Parts: sequence; C-alpha cells; structure tokens
Amino acid sequence: MSAVELSKLSTAERHELVPVPINGQGLKTLLEAGMIWLKTNQQTVNSLNVFPVPDGDTGTNMVLTMQAAFDEVATSGASNVGQFAHSIARGALMGARGNSGVILSQIWRGFARALDDHPTMDVKLLADALEEAKATAYKGVVRPVEGTILTVIKDIAAQATVSVQRTSSFTEILWDIVEAANASVERTPDLLPILKQAGVVDSGGKGLLFIFEGMWRFINGDSLDKAVTEVLPLSDMDLENAMETVEEGQDYEVVIDFTPKSTFNLEEYYDELSKIGTSIQVGEGEGIYRMHIHVPLDSRYLPIDHTMNLGTIQKVMMENLVAQMDERKNNKNPKLKLTPVKPDEIAVVAVSPGSGLSRIFASLGVAAIVEGGQTMNPSIKELLASFENLPTDKIIILPNNKNIIMAAKEVASMTVKNVAVIPTISVPQGFSAMFRLIPDSDFDETVEAMNEAMGEVEIGEITTATRTVEIDGVQVEEGQVIALHNGKLITSTQTIEEACEALLIAANTGDYERITLFYGEDIQLSHVNDLADKIRSIYPSHEIEVHEGGQPHYQLIISIE
Amino acid sequence: MAEIENKHNELGSILIQKDAIASIARQSTLQSYGVVGLAPKNLIENIRQLFNKDAKYGVEVEFDHDGLVIDIFIVVEYGTRIKSITNSVVNSVKYNVEKTVGLPVRRINVHVRGLRISNMD
Repeated sequence: MSAVELSKLSTAERHELVPVPINGQGLKTLLEAGMIWLKTNQQTVNSLNVFPVPDGDTGTNMVLTMQAAFDEVATSGASNVGQFAHSIARGALMGARGNSGVILSQIWRGFARALDDHPTMDVKLLADALEEAKATAYKGVVRPVEGTILTVIKDIAAQATVSVQRTSSFTEILWDIVEAANASVERTPDLLPILKQAGVVDSGGKGLLFIFEGMWRFINGDSLDKAVTEVLPLSDMDLENAMETVEEGQDYEVVIDFTPKSTFNLEEYYDELSKIGTSIQVGEGEGIYRMHIHVPLDSRYLPIDHTMNLGTIQKVMMENLVAQMDERKNNKNPKLKLTPVKPDEIAVVAVSPGSGLSRIFASLGVAAIVEGGQTMNPSIKELLASFENLPTDKIIILPNNKNIIMAAKEVASMTVKNVAVIPTISVPQGFSAMFRLIPDSDFDETVEAMNEAMGEVEIGEITTATRTVEIDGVQVEEGQVIALHNGKLITSTQTIEEACEALLIAANTGDYERITLFYGEDIQLSHVNDLADKIRSIYPSHEIEVHEGGQPHYQLIISIE
Repeated sequence: MAEIENKHNELGSILIQKDAIASIARQSTLQSYGVVGLAPKNLIENIRQLFNKDAKYGVEVEFDHDGLVIDIFIVVEYGTRIKSITNSVVNSVKYNVEKTVGLPVRRINVHVRGLRISNMD
C-alpha cells in the first residue's frame, strides 16, 4: 500500500490489520508503516548527517535498508511472527546500506532471534525482543560510540522493559517507546560533541525514531504521507511547476541560496516562512540551502531579512510572477521535458514538425528534438548538434519525413558516433518506432525492432492543395482538400470530412483497432471533435483518439493501427 | 622510525611518525560499526603482539608524494553486510586522518581477515 492508502484507513481498519497479540501479518503492517513514515521524513534525516563523513545520505540508506527488509516479506502470507521476523532480518541484512543501515539490520537480527519460533508476540515478548535487538547491535562494534542510533535503541529497550511492568496495552507501550526514543534523540548532542558543534541531533537515531513513530502513528490513526518539515535535494526542487500554483495576491517569487549558521533550525525556519508567504520549498545540496517562496508585493524583502539572520546569503533571485505568468500564457512552446540519457544508453533524436507532436515525442522518451519537416527541413548542422553533446555514442534518428531521410543519412557519415537512421516518412511511424525503444538494450536489435514497428501503422495526411496539378491519376484543383495514404495521393475533395472518409476506406481501417488524429495549427479543435464523432459513428468499435499536433499546413495527420 | 614531514615554518618543521597516523587509523577503525577487532598483518606481528602491545597492530601506513596509503586488517562480526562495513571503515579512517593530520589520504585498503561468530541464528 502507498502512504496515502495507508493514511486513508480508519482507526478500526487499522486495528484489524494489527491484531494483538501481533502475528506475522500484523508485524508486516507495522513494518510498512514505519518504513513509509521514515521515507516521508527521509530528507529531514539526510539533512542531519555530519559524522563521520558529511555526505547527507543516512535517511536514504535507512530507507533502502527498510525497503529491502519489506520486499523480502511483501508477498509473504505467513502468520508465524517469529518466522516472519527472521525473513525481515534476512532482507535487512542483504540490503543494508551505510553504517546506520548495517546497525538497523543488526537490530532486526536480534529482534528476530528473540522471537525465535513464536506464533505471536505479546508486549512481554516485544520488550524481550527489543533487549535482544540492543544486545546484538552493541555486539557489532568494539568501541560503541554513544550519542548514536545505538544509544537510542538502548533507551528504547530500557523503556519497553520498564513499561511492560505497568501495562499490557500494546498502544501504550508503543507510545512510551516513541517518547523515550524522542528524548534519547534530543540527548544525543550531549553525548557526542561533534553533534553539538554542528547543532544537530544524530541522524541514525532520528531515523530509528521515525520508524517507531510511524508504527505508532498508524495505530493511532494519524496520517503517514505528510512530513513534519521537508528538505529536498536541490535536484528535486520543482521550481518550474511551482509557478502553476500561484495564489491570488502572491505577486513575487523569491529564491535565496544560503549557508546556514550552526544554530539553524529547519522547523522554526519553515514556521517563520509560512507566516510570510506560500509555495515554500527548501532544498539542500553540499551544505548550501535553497529556499523558494511566493510572497505579496509588500513583503518581498521579508524572506531576505529573515534568512540573513540565520546564515550567509549567497544569491537572491526575485521575479515578478504576474508578468511572468502573462508571458507564459502568450508562449505557445513551453519547455519540453526530454528524457535524460544515461552514459552508453541508446538515445533517439526525432524531427518534429509541431509543438504538440514534440510533446508526444518527449513523453515517449526521445533524448532530443529537432524542429522541422514538411516545409522547413532542418539542416545537417542542426541534426548533428542535437546529439553531439549526449553522453552516449549510440544514436538513432527518426527523420519522420521522406525529405529529411537523406540529410539524416548524411549526418550518420559525418560523426564518429554510431548513428542509425530509421527511415520514417511520417510522424506516426516515428511514434510507432518509439514504442520499441529500450534504452539499455542492444543497439542493433533495437534498430531492427524499430524498423519493423515503423511498418505496422497506416498513415493518413490531410492537407490543402497549393496548386492545380494531376498526380498519381488524381486531378487536383488549387484550394481543394487532398488526402494522402502512406505518402500517396488518393483523392481530392471539397471538405475535410470527405477526404477523411475516403482515406479511412483506402487504409482498410476495418482491419485495424485504433485511429489517432493529430490536428495541426490550421484547424479548430471544435471542428476536429465533430470529425472524430463522425468517424466514431462509422467505425463504432474502433478506439479513436485526438491529440494536438501543432504542425503547420497539414490539418490532420492520422495514424491507423 | 620513518617520519613524514608535514609542514615547514620559520621556527622549524613538524614531523609526524607513521605510528601516530597508524594510531588514529586504528582508533577510528575500532569505532566503526561491524568491526570487532584488528588482525595481525603476518605471523611475526602475531607473535610480537603477545609480548608487546603495538600501536601499528593491524594497520600499515606508507607515504609517497601523492599522499598516504593505509592498509587495515580487520575482523568483522558474522551476519553483517561486509561491503557496507568496509565502506564505512574507509570513509571514517580517511575523514579522521585527513582532519587530524592534514595529509591527503591516497588509498585505503581494507583486508577482512576473519569473521567473529558470536551468535548463530
């Protein structure tokens, strides 16, 4: 289940999933809740990492270790809690990442050993298992360093042992554990001077706290999908899309890069920011923080003043959102999200005649797009430049137009990279070929598969004749609508509807299953929708899709497959 | 005893013995999770250790112009993920030696000489 799904369950449903005494399936649910809560707060844990190497990945390592443990039991239906715990321990051991991950795996190992072969776990056994977990964790090192995750599991075990004398309620004991863990985490700077110097608590200990807290939150009916505070890695900050969520009155976007002082407290910082503005994001990378916020005109300098008190500001970027939004509305070509190419994987370059078609190519995973086709053929230089900087030498070009195939082949002979040209003469052929792309597979096999796929689609094109002429035995008057099937002129008519009908008949549409219409910039969407309805009435059992293609001159590009 | 010259100033030079660096490496290795002990490099060291506690036990330090090369011989707890443990030994020894001595560490070789089995599951 996902964080959201787990969070939606009612308290009664949750208690049903975790019956007391705990059996294997109950432990699985608790494990999942702990893992999800840790994952939700992963970046908070990452931001605490200072010792011994400031690489900021404790949270990630612990999540991966927990994930490995969970994967081991995800499909298991076993109800014996002891055997279940042994599986968890095995998964954690195999997947242990980093120092804290190894310690976590030892905790699970000890926990499993104490559960032995017991069918269920009561509170007494839980306390014993935590004691054994602590003992096993401490055995793994000659000189245990206090003020770490080891101290936290020690305090948790001690609290559990005390609590079982007082109560036999599982929920109460879990709460005692969370409180003890929290207090223990807060004490870590007193035990480990380097934490105090850096002004943080121990990251591994905090991660362990999140695991137990997640279990308790689940039992208690709290949500698991919303982090208390969130710090993203810089690369994950989504400032492009933050624009989409501009609220009324939030006129300015302020982005500040800064290095915080050692006394920096992220939660307080968030609290302060949320009083000033909205759309707050804080990212961190190599010690530098980046803050993003939307604020009203009057308070546009407040985030700067506030941040200045907490650290050294490196850079401030401020933009007028209202002006930017207007510009965006006028801009028909928003930036495309192309697929980044990993070194040595196959990269595809597609020639695309329209912005809508480019977006579809982008969503299918092309690495680069060259604008052109139909009337404006891209130059060899443009084609060459599109892939020269990609970190791979396995390149596939989709020309998507018969006039570009020659140029593409020319490009292949001009570069040291290994370039294959799939001779696609139309955009739908290009789409069809893209479905066969597996970037990390064998180059020659992929080229072959894409060549094959290209022929599996029938292509129709609808455009307006620019002069009077007779081609392929068809008489065409200037201004008439003409239909091309697989590049061959088949009819000239007065309306687009007639041309489409003739085309679909010529393409033996009855033998296929799906008709896709890509409409160009010269035709109204309402017109296209009427047309689609008409086609639907003729071919009621076909799937019919309409996409914006944005290509010039051609009202419609149609693929039939 | 080999000494590594670290810094000059107008009053003289600072010389650091390899033993000193070995002690630092040794300490941070023993604090690394999963390491339950150091192991002798060879038979002679094994015998010598019986009579005389040696700071270099289980650790070997070499120096060339590019930096320090440290070899560490360890015993690991059975049932832990050895790859993760050796990685963290490398990281913490590098961090502590570079921080305290100020010399670049070029290579750290971790030799797992054995496993200690304290519990069978």
